[in-house]
Amino acid sequence: MKPRGVRHVWELLWGMTEKELRARYKHTIFGFLWLVANPALQMLIIGFVFPLFVQNPIDHYNYYLFTGLLAWNFFSLSLSKATPSIVFERNLIKKSIFPRFVIPCSITLSNAINYIAAFFLFLIPIIFLHTLTPASLIYFMSGLMMIFIFTIGASLLTSALNVKFRDVNFFVQAILLIWFYATPIVYSLSQIPPRLMWIWHFNPLTSAIQLMQAAVVGSAPPGSSMLTANIVTIALVTAIGVIVFNRESRYFDDWL
Amino acid sequence: MMHRNPQIVLRLTHISKKYEIHHEKPTLVEKFVKRKNETFWALNDINITVHKGEKIGIIGRNGSGKTTILKIIAGISTPTNGVVQTVGRVVSLIDLAAGFHAELTGYQNIYLNGMLLGMLRGEIDEKIKDIIAFADLKQFIDAPLFTYSNGMTLRLGFAIAVHANPDILLLDENLSAGDNNFQQKSRNKLKEFFKQEKTIIVVTHNLDFVASTCTRVIHLRRGTVIHDGGLEVLKAYDPAWKK
Repeated sequence: MKPRGVRHVWELLWGMTEKELRARYKHTIFGFLWLVANPALQMLIIGFVFPLFVQNPIDHYNYYLFTGLLAWNFFSLSLSKATPSIVFERNLIKKSIFPRFVIPCSITLSNAINYIAAFFLFLIPIIFLHTLTPASLIYFMSGLMMIFIFTIGASLLTSALNVKFRDVNFFVQAILLIWFYATPIVYSLSQIPPRLMWIWHFNPLTSAIQLMQAAVVGSAPPGSSMLTANIVTIALVTAIGVIVFNRESRYFDDWL
Repeated sequence: MMHRNPQIVLRLTHISKKYEIHHEKPTLVEKFVKRKNETFWALNDINITVHKGEKIGIIGRNGSGKTTILKIIAGISTPTNGVVQTVGRVVSLIDLAAGFHAELTGYQNIYLNGMLLGMLRGEIDEKIKDIIAFADLKQFIDAPLFTYSNGMTLRLGFAIAVHANPDILLLDENLSAGDNNFQQKSRNKLKEFFKQEKTIIVVTHNLDFVASTCTRVIHLRRGTVIHDGGLEVLKAYDPAWKK
């Protein structure tokens, strides 16, 4: 395969991202507002139901919830859309040679842009909450980086595997349902008994979302052992994703 | 017309391509339970060297590996064994309608498709007027692609591909896009390419087309090269063919 200009790859990645953004909210009246409306509805429902069962409520619970939901929606939408993306875009694969990773990555990137836009809207009420501190920016940026890199890595892995094994798509859908409850979005880790804490060590979203919650409502940031475990998992998954995608992408055409 | 310029633009070395025949998509379980698969060699130890400006017709029956060889040259498919080396931009005119997005306008699709073919944004900026004029889309250029007729989509695909300034052009002789007027236009454009120093590889059943446009003919049978030579190969391929 011949080397291609880095510039061309960036332009193509951006062009595909633009396509994703443009195509998503075509023919919808509320367009981009759906992005905030969805987690807002989730927040209202969970914010009503969950405190009925849990005695020790979290400070600024609705804000806490919304922070986690926005980040979670970014992750789950990206992964569930990127996983079958190579199969769906088979006519691009058959058209020409271009770096295949732009297909899943453009989906994650377009979701990230949507997410950041939604977060900026969310920022307006947060400011009146007076919980933002100088550390908030660092917390938020680190959390965002972690979740973004993990999403890229995971979606490279699942989208590549889904070409040969279409079960992967169903597996991802199923695991996302469980994953939501294995992530501290509606609850806080302080409510988890220590003997079960190892489960959250394996979930890289734990630290990422904790960091964002710390940024928004000033809840406790992740401990160092949690942070280390999560970063190692992210690095591992991303490395495997890149390797597998690289190896498999040469043979996509054979399976489509 | 032999070639003064001896630059090699394409070299296929010991290319083989094995396909696994999957009657149905394997599930994860099947993959681990039964390991053996039916296989099929679409190409077998192909060696071809192409110089700049050569016009090559690849002929052979259905299933002889013609399409596979084009896919491998285009980089869409990766050979099981062997090495492909190409110089310059390879553009295939095989699947013209591929790579368009129905929700985007013709204008936006030109950018997307052009970039998929390897063009830079700036390059497309320069050529977009020519592309629109060539595709003859007029006011439809701002309409989403799902409003286009089949012919319009093909015309747009053709216009983008020929403006991508390919060094190596991969063609299917059954190329027909649009009405008579556009077919004439596309034929003229291709003739222009045939006259230039472009390297062109055509896959075809149409021996007359090869005889009138190509300088070299490669005959494939069951994934191997039977003959590789001048137009005399046509006669050997089909003795009934007269010219």
